[in-house]
Amino acid sequence: MTTRRFRQLLNARFAGVLLSAVSMMLAGCATTPQLADATEASLPMRAQIDGVPFHAQREYQCGPASLAMVLNSQGVDVTVDTLIPQVFIPDREGSVQPEMLATTRRHGVIPYVLNNTFDALLTEIAAGHPVVVMQNLSLPAWPMWHYAVAIGYDREAEEMILHSGEEAERIESFRRFDATWTRSDRWAFVALPPGQLPEAIGAYQALDAIASYEQVQGPQAALPAWEALVSRFPTSAMGHFALGNARHVLGDRDGAIEAFRVAVRHDDKLAVAWLNMGLSLQHRGDAEEAHHALSRAAKIPGQWQAKAREALKEH
Amino acid sequence: MKRFYRYLSPLLILALLLGSVSVAAAPVPTSDLVTTQAALSAERPDADRERIQEILSRADVQEQLIAQGVDLDEVDARVAALSDDEARQMAEQLEQLPAGASVVGALLFVFVVLLVTDILGLTNVFPFTR
Repeated sequence: MTTRRFRQLLNARFAGVLLSAVSMMLAGCATTPQLADATEASLPMRAQIDGVPFHAQREYQCGPASLAMVLNSQGVDVTVDTLIPQVFIPDREGSVQPEMLATTRRHGVIPYVLNNTFDALLTEIAAGHPVVVMQNLSLPAWPMWHYAVAIGYDREAEEMILHSGEEAERIESFRRFDATWTRSDRWAFVALPPGQLPEAIGAYQALDAIASYEQVQGPQAALPAWEALVSRFPTSAMGHFALGNARHVLGDRDGAIEAFRVAVRHDDKLAVAWLNMGLSLQHRGDAEEAHHALSRAAKIPGQWQAKAREALKEH
Repeated sequence: MKRFYRYLSPLLILALLLGSVSVAAAPVPTSDLVTTQAALSAERPDADRERIQEILSRADVQEQLIAQGVDLDEVDARVAALSDDEARQMAEQLEQLPAGASVVGALLFVFVVLLVTDILGLTNVFPFTR
């Protein structure tokens, strides 16, 4: 290698380092987060949730400590020591996001991951729901991942209030908080008992969260959540379908059929709801109505066509 | 230890397969309706393949968690509480997933940079800079 080429290479490398350092700084240079106009208008200036117990973290166990705080705040009686073997990964010296959600489920409460906005975070706090947030307290190159529980904010002072690490009601400026929170793509979740829904959640996200909960805790536990879902999102066909299924498994056949009926009223292309309605009607002995529903299911191309045709044949 | 895991993983897969078969074959009078979970996952392409993949993922996650020091008594319940998506995510990228509470390398250079960024309000590593 000639000296000249070597120098060029050196320059290129130096430029690369400089460029990445600058872009890293820029990416980190978050200003005070801006709220959408609608949120700006409707959100109270300050809010703080009382009665969220504080558990100081030990060693690297901010995951179990944060989880204990939100679970306790929802009336679940569980200690940090119980949660450590359930969520902490010893060799990683930490807890990972999917298991934070899974462990919440194990304790009978539904975890809802929020969309990644500052608006959603403040809206939930204002609604009285403590929010578990994941932060990277350091820079992306040397991460220091951390879970904390956001329990309040003050928009005038531009400050967050968090139960974090070894400090209860820690005050953190919006700017610093958002800079560290953005590094986890603004990951956050609230944990609520079945029957309550987060303020800032879409029908599909809620549906997914409740279905995952039902898979672990069963339809009896999930039923109030499905009811809450359809009352918040009355036009969600999938929501009515899910409610119908839960009722069906619990032995409420008429209630199930009614829910499937509402589902197809809101979306007559939802083949799977026609199918389940047809099958339930068949069980009930309503041959004619069952035939109609199953025929509708059999006409819609896709996944459930074969099953619907089969049921029609038995008919 | 490696050898131990080589034997362990087929056993875990088998156990999970048997587990899921017995659930499917349980004499629940309602088993012929399509479940909400099946309907939701059917919205994605390749639903059948994903179902098999998911069983394999759960076995894989179980094995990885045991290898990372999770208690044997706890691992079953931990994996069972994961949703299908979460199980897949854990199986595919447990190593890369951020774990709350890692430690920053103690290099002097890193220390100085983080001290500066802390003072600038971009990070929050040292409690005394606030």
